[in-house]
Amino acid sequence: MANEKEKGSSANILDWLASLKLTLFVFFSLAAASTIGTLLPQGAELEESGFSPGTISLIQSLGLNNLYHSSWFRMLLMLLCVNLLVCTIDRLPKTIKLLRRQEDQFDSNKLSKFGTSAVMATRMSAEEVRPLVQNAVAETFGQLKDLGSSARFCGVLEKGRWSRLMVYGVHASVILVVLGALLGSIVGYKGFMNIPEGEASDEVELTVGAHNHLTLPFQVKCDKFEVSFYDTGAPKEFKSDLTIIDNGKEVVKQPIVVNDPLSYNGVTFYQSSYGATLKHVELEIKDSNSGKTEKVTTSLQQTVSIPGTDDQIRISEFQDNLMGFGPALGVVISKPAKPANGSWVLAQKPDFHGNKILNYQIKVKNISKANYTGLQVSRDPGVWVVYMGFTLMLLGIMLTFYSSHNKVWACIEPNENGNRTIVAVAGRSSRNAPAFNDKFDELRDRLNSVLKAEPIKLEQTKPEKAKAEKARPEKAKAEKTKPGKTKEEKKKK
Amino acid sequence: MTSSLLLSITTFIYLLCTVLYVAAVVFRYRPLLFAGTMTALGGFIIQTAGIILRWKESYDMGYGHAPLSNMYESLVFGAWSIIAIYLVFEWRSRQRALGFVPAGMAFIAMAYASFATGMDAKIQPLVPALKSNWLIAHVITCFLGYAAFAVSFGLSMLYLLRKDVKDNPGHGALAFLPNARQLDSINYQMIVFGFLWLSVGIITGSVWANSAWGTYWSWDPKETWSLITWFIYAALLHARTMKGWQGPRVAWLSMIGFACVLFTYFGVNYLLSGLHSYGR
Repeated sequence: MANEKEKGSSANILDWLASLKLTLFVFFSLAAASTIGTLLPQGAELEESGFSPGTISLIQSLGLNNLYHSSWFRMLLMLLCVNLLVCTIDRLPKTIKLLRRQEDQFDSNKLSKFGTSAVMATRMSAEEVRPLVQNAVAETFGQLKDLGSSARFCGVLEKGRWSRLMVYGVHASVILVVLGALLGSIVGYKGFMNIPEGEASDEVELTVGAHNHLTLPFQVKCDKFEVSFYDTGAPKEFKSDLTIIDNGKEVVKQPIVVNDPLSYNGVTFYQSSYGATLKHVELEIKDSNSGKTEKVTTSLQQTVSIPGTDDQIRISEFQDNLMGFGPALGVVISKPAKPANGSWVLAQKPDFHGNKILNYQIKVKNISKANYTGLQVSRDPGVWVVYMGFTLMLLGIMLTFYSSHNKVWACIEPNENGNRTIVAVAGRSSRNAPAFNDKFDELRDRLNSVLKAEPIKLEQTKPEKAKAEKARPEKAKAEKTKPGKTKEEKKKK
Repeated sequence: MTSSLLLSITTFIYLLCTVLYVAAVVFRYRPLLFAGTMTALGGFIIQTAGIILRWKESYDMGYGHAPLSNMYESLVFGAWSIIAIYLVFEWRSRQRALGFVPAGMAFIAMAYASFATGMDAKIQPLVPALKSNWLIAHVITCFLGYAAFAVSFGLSMLYLLRKDVKDNPGHGALAFLPNARQLDSINYQMIVFGFLWLSVGIITGSVWANSAWGTYWSWDPKETWSLITWFIYAALLHARTMKGWQGPRVAWLSMIGFACVLFTYFGVNYLLSGLHSYGR
């Protein structure tokens, strides 16, 4: 702290990056930003939200309609990672140094100054007392380690040093999750494919980046698609029988349902939706100019000529149930050197005005449909890194909060007159003070009884203080501990 | 004997339990606390039987799923978790005077589940998306977290009321409760417990989502709000451990955290749409 003035501005920035203030700022900012993201319409919903054009453009310019992928939200996430890293670089060496520190010599006077301590005197000799103290500590906390002091007996017991490192595990886990997500977004992809029953496909439509296609190095065939229903009419199960065809060979045959996907070569196929698609259709086309009626059989995305004319007809889209009006065809008619004209043609409503395009009245005679299965396709090599992060996070949180670094000191020495033996014990726990204090009280009671201890005149004021301290350990800690510095670090200094 | 009868009985037992605990504090009469504990234990046993019976009934109807699939069932399980956590806490801490907080919350949850308009208490078949063993792991872990936060919310309110009252028994009902320092310490333990289980809940949900849809995180409103809740409690734990935040500040943050829990649970279901819409 003395060289505070000598620190350059870069050191100040590092201090700030490692600070708890920044941590809290990032936590609250992420919480606030995420809240906004759930309240404002995201993605394509924005256009349908009914906001005024001005509001929409404001929302778009701030990236609020794609908030979780906006650069400023990513900056916040990055700031969290930087905060974690710098804080670790700053603190980890100190923690390790603290854990490696050799115990110095101490005497009863030093131990009596601990928040949790007990000092007592007995008429027994130091040699008699020693096994009794060691036993009492062994029965409550564990084996004391003799520091081999010449003037007096000094023993220390330490458990759970590693507990202090667990919080770094939690911090590392956050970094792992972020790295895994990053890896997934760089080398992985997500998309979907609709495969009609009986057909195979290798075309994946990617979710990110509109109308982006990807061709798989193998083909997926949907042998069969089935939906089953409960008596109530609610869907019970969606099931697709899939076959993977690699190099012309059927390599995998497996049914998939929701929650039970199929993986092949790192690509996973999830049952996601289903629907009906057009196989082929028979149309009756009446030319109102000539009065002639022609019949045409066609299928989706196929362009055919209308017999006896130069005009062409194409079915560009199919909806199994268009706004409750039943099956509908998106029909486009193009005449030479003229812009194309199109309309929805309703199969079950021949009188619908849209069934007339230019001079043609279109009647749907025969529809043959096929079911298709909608598959979610995902390749994410980062997912294992994320899962490692998850595991580490849970273990880390559990051990951080439910394990502690406990230390017990004991000292046996003759008093100044040489007519009594002074026994002092002290303890410190990094966490869970109430449980530790209960155990320490038990030790104190044991010692008092086995040593037939007498109250000590010298320390008469001490138990009072210990009581007061014990009654308000939280407050006492809060007063003693400067923000951002743990007790241990202070002690070290 | 049907599960709905058992669960109705539970509702009234929790009401009785709340009354007993409150009376004990108001009249500062300890035997009533013991009666409260026994009532809570009785209610808990009957409720456990009710939940198991409902599980069995769903098999008899041919649906066969754990009773954790909709708002009604989750409220019942929420009440169960609150009482379970409290009973363990009471057994370990020998601290009985706070019983009215969890008992009252369990009663409110049960009453809301039973009497709220539009609450469907029927056993319904499971939609395909929920058919997974992850359902049980995900819902149970989330609710352990939520229940601990609910208790912490109650403790935080008590703390704010109690902090300026002297321990002297002449100071009325509040002085009968644990003192402010003890409340703060108990509250912290509840928050730590809740934070651990909320983390497990978010992670099990995330792993489940990945096995069902191929994405472990899709910023669905429910996911996002659980993360917001996580941020709030993470901030609280950091501030308390590292900055020594105590008492009122922690109590207020915990109450904000619980408001987030409530929004994650009710608000997202009723006000926002997303992957969790079957929770209505």
